[in-house]
Amino acid sequence: MERPLKRLLYFFAALFLALIVQLSYVQVYAAPDLKNHAANTRALDEQMRIERGVITAADGTVIAQNRQEGDYFLREYPLGDLTAPWLGYNSLRYGRSGVERAYNPELTGETDELTARSLLDILTDRPKRGADVQLTVDLAVQRAAVEGLGERKGAVVALDPRTGQVLAMASWPRYDPNELDERWGELNQNADRPLVNRALQGLYPPGSSFKPVVAAAALAEGLFTPESTFTDEGRYVAGGFPVNNYGGNTFGEHDLTTAMARSINTTFAKIGVALDEQLLAYTRAFGFEKELPLPLESAVSTLPEPSLIDTAHLAQIAFGQGQLLATPFQMALVASGIANGGRIMNPYLVEQVTDFHGAVVEQAQPSVWQTPVSPSVAGQVAEMMVQVVERGTGTQAALPGIRVAGKTGTAQVAEGGDHAWFIGFAPADDPRVAVAVLVENAGGGGSVAAPVARRVLEAGLAR
Amino acid sequence: MSPRNRELLFLLPAVLVTTIGFATIYIREAERLEWASLSYGGLFLGLFGLVHVAERFLAPKADPYLLPITALLSSLGIMMIYRLNPDLALQQALWLLVGLGVFVFVLIVARPLARLASYKYLLGLAGIGLLLFTVVFGREVYGARLWVRVAGIGFQPPEFAKLFLVVFFAAYLADVREMLAVSTRRILGIAFPPLKYLGPLLALWGLALALMIFLRDLGTSLLFFGALLALMYVATSRMLYVVVGTGLFAGGATVLYQIFPHVQRRVDVWLDPWADTQDAGYQIVQSLFALAEGGLTGRGLGQGFLVLPSGRTLIPALETDFIFSAIGEELGLAGAVGIVLLFFIFVWRGLRIALASSDDFVRLLAAGLTAIFGLQAFLILGGVIKLIPLTGITLPFVSYGGSSIVANFALLALLLRASHEAARQEEARLEAAVRGSATPGEVVVGPPAGGLRGLRTEGRGA
Repeated sequence: MERPLKRLLYFFAALFLALIVQLSYVQVYAAPDLKNHAANTRALDEQMRIERGVITAADGTVIAQNRQEGDYFLREYPLGDLTAPWLGYNSLRYGRSGVERAYNPELTGETDELTARSLLDILTDRPKRGADVQLTVDLAVQRAAVEGLGERKGAVVALDPRTGQVLAMASWPRYDPNELDERWGELNQNADRPLVNRALQGLYPPGSSFKPVVAAAALAEGLFTPESTFTDEGRYVAGGFPVNNYGGNTFGEHDLTTAMARSINTTFAKIGVALDEQLLAYTRAFGFEKELPLPLESAVSTLPEPSLIDTAHLAQIAFGQGQLLATPFQMALVASGIANGGRIMNPYLVEQVTDFHGAVVEQAQPSVWQTPVSPSVAGQVAEMMVQVVERGTGTQAALPGIRVAGKTGTAQVAEGGDHAWFIGFAPADDPRVAVAVLVENAGGGGSVAAPVARRVLEAGLAR
Repeated sequence: MSPRNRELLFLLPAVLVTTIGFATIYIREAERLEWASLSYGGLFLGLFGLVHVAERFLAPKADPYLLPITALLSSLGIMMIYRLNPDLALQQALWLLVGLGVFVFVLIVARPLARLASYKYLLGLAGIGLLLFTVVFGREVYGARLWVRVAGIGFQPPEFAKLFLVVFFAAYLADVREMLAVSTRRILGIAFPPLKYLGPLLALWGLALALMIFLRDLGTSLLFFGALLALMYVATSRMLYVVVGTGLFAGGATVLYQIFPHVQRRVDVWLDPWADTQDAGYQIVQSLFALAEGGLTGRGLGQGFLVLPSGRTLIPALETDFIFSAIGEELGLAGAVGIVLLFFIFVWRGLRIALASSDDFVRLLAAGLTAIFGLQAFLILGGVIKLIPLTGITLPFVSYGGSSIVANFALLALLLRASHEAARQEEARLEAAVRGSATPGEVVVGPPAGGLRGLRTEGRGA
């Protein structure tokens, strides 16, 4: 029986050797891939043990704080769905989004600078804590945006055009991040996509709210002036495709300012055709086809494929149709660029980051993102936009005693009713707040979107 | 050095590991744990010390390495359980106490081991009875039906059944092995024993398939079949049994794979756990993540991501079937390979006892117990590291669970008893040789084990 016993021992030696080989493979060779696997929540778990920094609004109100449970710091959002979806969530099970994701290295104290600072804390055995993040969001403006939009699908964005500070961002439908874990399945499968921030991720034809870009390009190129006259016959054929005015109106003889105020499509189609390639260049200069300089999940506003662009398309683009797609945030940037003398500031959400000793580790510095047109051109366009609110399609955005500049948009879509748009800023002479409002399939921009914009502008000016 | 003193010396590393390990966890979780919890280490050591003393009386010549290995394995196990859930560790400590009691009890009762052989049919029936009991009253946990609840305490009858069946099979084979090894017919040049002697093999095969169908666990089935087949091979020295047996098992398993969805699911999850990381593949995928997190040297005791805020473990059954994943994460490849080597040394010492033994029954018993122990360790270790399909059996001495602890201490007692008897027989033989030979010098040269066997047969013939 010796031989079989020895063979049995060799057999077991082989089995255990196989175990060691497989162990080495899993723990060393395959380990990097396993650690980065999408289903691996361990890195997340580790960070859930760090006391995460709190997030505050511009006035210091806490909008994201911690609740300690055992070794874990779980997130609470005192304002519930008011700050969703851009604030995002921090879930052990479903990961992160929004500000919680974008500023996670700061909030967990894992940026290089914060790590260097916390070395001292490690040596003195103080528990590790993340840095606090103060946002630019003004809760009064945020409330105005959320309440103004109400329970209608759409988005509202408010910026300070002088600095690029994001004052408010609303999107509906949205969710309460405190209930995320319980309601994940339902939220994730909902056809209306409540987890998506429409302000940054929704792409819509901008319709006539795009006309300020066209006017700015025409003025900058010296093709027309605000006083240039046009004749509208209610119909204009470009490249074989007819262009009509909204509501089938005919305006006869008018100047460019009136074309803006009354949103005359035929005139802008003519300008678009006259601008030719330059229309596309200026559109890009206003930020289209560029990644938004904001660290949140966002979509890029797009022009049609270059090969598709012909005279007919140019005419359509000139009144914001023809496969031109923009996010509400992009349209707010257009408004802020006109407001700020042709300079679009880099938008930002975080005013400052302070480590838990109170020392400021990051402070936002306003900087220019795009300069599509000169201050004088921007001033002329702004003046035309004032006429929109004073005597044109945007009267419902008017505020007593304040000159409000704006532009309505009523974008036609393939399915469902028109999208209502309004972009604008106030006061027109020294703008402190710029806004973009989009309400999906809700009808005319002047009647639906302009009142929302007025409410947001009013709150923005009260700051 | 006498075997017992050597054993005492080798218990010291276990003392050290336990003390340092518990201290580490205590320091790490000081605010959550009571200071008194440090006494687990002391309690643990006192127990093994007592058992060591008992052994000095009951099996003084036994192998000195098996008890220290066991101590080290149970110490690592209870440490990890303590780190996962201090309440469970207290229960495990109580089970350890029972296990060591059973260990001493078996040492007393199984004296000499041959006594067991005379009860072989009773024991065999008890083994089958326990398995039947599991089939009838078993509750399904993670897809396998291995648990039974009696008076509120869950236990795993297969853990005990494995002991009874090994004792029965060893005794049975010791009686009939000569006949099984005989060949009377040659078919295609291969010598076959008479067909009726294939009976035991076919019975084994039937048992294995029945286990797979009714206990819904490929692992338990493979464990019993593999270990008892190894025993047949050792008894008869005939590879033919292994070849035919493996073929039969593979054929049966393939058919069952086609028929039974639970077998299919286990194998499919093993082949591709990534297809469903949230449900069917969750355990094994999380186990691999844990091992990867551990890397070469591990995250350190108490520093792995094993317990969720709710107090539940990240991997279900972490303290039982998946305890090795927890060890792999916190002690790394170094610790994991250490555990594998400890099991291998255990198997090596066990087979050495079989080799050294001159009595057929004792030799087969030692080989069978070692084979089933080693195979069980391999099946669950291989399962959690995705070398083979996952099974619902425990890691001997390390996993949380009363049945496993108690049954494996009984197994250890039988092995040590076999070792003691083997050593005593050899001593007796040497004395006889000294008495019978002209000069002591011839005996001092020391014949190898095979030679000793020759000596014995001569002695009997004389």
